[in-house]
Amino acid sequence: MFTRLTVFTRLLLFLLLLMPVSVGFIGVIFPSFGYFPALDRHDFSFDIFKKLFAVDGLGRMVWLSLFTGIGSTLLATLCTFLLLAACYKSSFLNKVQAMLSPLLVLPHAATAIALLFVLSPSGLFARLIGSITSTTIPSANAAFFPYDDWGISVLCALVLKEVPFILLMALSVMAQPSNVRKLAGYQRVGVSLGYNEKSTFFKLMLPSIYAQIRLPILAVLVFATSNVEIPLILAANNPGTLSTAILHWFNHVDLSMRLLGSAASILQVFVCVFAILFFITIERGVALWGRNRLHAGKRNFFERSIAFLGTSVLAVYAVLIAMVVYVVVMYSFATYWPFPHLLPQGFTLLHWQTALSAIDEPFWNAVALAFATSTSSVVFVLLTLESEVLAPAKQKVARLFSLSLFLPLLVPGVAFLYGLVWFQQLLSTHALGFHTYIAHMVYVVPYVYLSLAVSYRRFEPRYAYVAQSLGKSPFQVFWHIKLPMLTNAVCVSWALGMAISFSQYLPTLLASGGAIPTVTTEAVASVSGSSERLTAVYAILQGVMPFMGFVIAWTLPAMIRFARTRKRNRFSQKVMRYGP
Amino acid sequence: MDHKSTVLRGQTLSQVLSLQHLTIHKGGERLLQIHTEVPAQSVLTIMGPSGCGKTTLLNAISGQLSAPFVMQGDICINGRSVVAIPPHKRKVGIMFQDALLFEHMSVKENIAFAIPPERYRSKKAQSIAIDRLLENVSLSGFGDRSIDALSGGQQARISLLRTLAAEPDVVLLDEPFSKLDASLRAQIRQWTFDEIKRRDIPAVLVTHDKEDAQAADGEVIEIMPC
Repeated sequence: MFTRLTVFTRLLLFLLLLMPVSVGFIGVIFPSFGYFPALDRHDFSFDIFKKLFAVDGLGRMVWLSLFTGIGSTLLATLCTFLLLAACYKSSFLNKVQAMLSPLLVLPHAATAIALLFVLSPSGLFARLIGSITSTTIPSANAAFFPYDDWGISVLCALVLKEVPFILLMALSVMAQPSNVRKLAGYQRVGVSLGYNEKSTFFKLMLPSIYAQIRLPILAVLVFATSNVEIPLILAANNPGTLSTAILHWFNHVDLSMRLLGSAASILQVFVCVFAILFFITIERGVALWGRNRLHAGKRNFFERSIAFLGTSVLAVYAVLIAMVVYVVVMYSFATYWPFPHLLPQGFTLLHWQTALSAIDEPFWNAVALAFATSTSSVVFVLLTLESEVLAPAKQKVARLFSLSLFLPLLVPGVAFLYGLVWFQQLLSTHALGFHTYIAHMVYVVPYVYLSLAVSYRRFEPRYAYVAQSLGKSPFQVFWHIKLPMLTNAVCVSWALGMAISFSQYLPTLLASGGAIPTVTTEAVASVSGSSERLTAVYAILQGVMPFMGFVIAWTLPAMIRFARTRKRNRFSQKVMRYGP
Repeated sequence: MDHKSTVLRGQTLSQVLSLQHLTIHKGGERLLQIHTEVPAQSVLTIMGPSGCGKTTLLNAISGQLSAPFVMQGDICINGRSVVAIPPHKRKVGIMFQDALLFEHMSVKENIAFAIPPERYRSKKAQSIAIDRLLENVSLSGFGDRSIDALSGGQQARISLLRTLAAEPDVVLLDEPFSKLDASLRAQIRQWTFDEIKRRDIPAVLVTHDKEDAQAADGEVIEIMPC
């Protein structure tokens, strides 16, 4: 019975991941070839694509997407490896992880906003330089940041967001029991053969780590190449990246522009495929070069420079984080803050009051959506993971399932979300909440799955064997043994799911047709609209909300344990009173 | 629920485990073959180098065999084939070298978890019964302790109490003494075998240790590496 339920859930989850993406993709293919009944277009042709390729600046948009996507992913991967090489052996690594983890759950929009506050011509960086050199004209980086033609600022924001992700992926791979032993062995062997710490890392450990984090890195690459909110906030708008152009076309008053948007979505998929191929080519090249270097047998591998670079990456992060926190908090309380002063002239609660009164609905929308998606994701994922134990699928089916997990991460959101929304509108125009829920699930489920699967597979199976040998049914084992022993992991995955849902911009905006504003959609909207101070408040809220989720995740297990002991004590007192 | 098995248990006085032409394959290769019978109160000892499939054999008996392992032949407890019965209904208790006590439960809860439902009239009666069990292994007053406050020897004793509290028809012992230090080892081993005799059930012991095999005082089968 329970086993059947778990197998059914696995199927449901599979469909939940597969359907929206494939249906959505079909939903942009038809319009891109000119078929769009709603606009009375029934003929298939290549006209839309012809029109698309005639768009002024299309090449530049594609180039920007590729440059920022591939550039940021390469740079972020390199930074991560330098960081790892510099401190994989020291206890410092835990601190690094603790420092970068909050950045992982900070929405992309908030990261871009924060960067804007620090690096814009009137930002904190310019203020610092201005107050030191007493130049009154904020020209220090006016030409460079933001809205530069090269997309450098977009690239920086992407790198900032990607490093923590890749780092945590690498750390979780390195923490898997089978890898811990292997890597420690490699390291000992390397050092005993006379290779220094850094070359041991790059020559022996990294190849094995990289193979296991390759898929997440490719997902990062696709995401970076097709991300919308960061270029929307930081890129020069004419022309921006391809993804922002798609957004504009779809939201254009002239509905026929949607056809152009659909065709551009298809192009976006090809851009992402190209990015992946390009990245793999570079990867192969590096691997070939690395293999040749292995034969050279050099024992010293830029020991000092790697340590220096790794530490600098860390230093940049530390400085940036400190500056971001300072400037955003200051702005949210500032009255008049003339350039280049480092302190505002006065403080006020006005912005907070204004923002909080306006944010009421978006806040509860975001919380309700996140709670619904994350909680149901955790339930679905738990049952699915349990089905892998109770009724293992055939190897091919299992592989198909794990591929479907990465599907929403490997197919750019701008490419399928519009098509998905189109289908959803055909089904019902009233179930906006449900449509938005589905659009969020597509992104929340993979992350919840990836994070829970690690601890679930690390669970000592003999506990379950013992419980079964005591006569407990699969459900009883799951409920009384596995769940209580995995409480921490379940709570953290739940909080991660909340954070992912909070950060969704495009799915929320599209699936709800703008009718369900969340803190993130309001924050992105506020950048182009209202005052910087309100934007600062939104950015803080965006950071605080996922954090609250994690606070709950950290305290809940302790509270459950406390309740359990109290119940136990009360019971044993009763027994003593009535006892023999 | 387990009506059939209770009737069966009523008919026969003692339990027998019989492994009939039991063959285990890994992939296409034959891993081991065994044909024997373990009467009640006796312990069958399985010895052999690591990787020869000792634990796999226990998995087959307890119903935990999974791919790539495949088994042929029959496993009967008390004359009834259990091959088609799911693991939790086989009434086969297992003990590993780690006590594997559930850390989110107290000592008493660990044992209570194992006791079949409705064995006692009330929670109070059950609690008193568990106190008696703990007394027998000189751990009285340990009922409300949490697991991490116990020594290895104490955990081993509670683990065995837990296994027996489920009233198994067969007990499987997967090197359960190997992590205990020498002085404790003989004592707990003797006590385990005594309990198995007292309960009138058969047991299968997997071990590396010759002393274990001697103490078990039953048939010894050595599995050769294939």
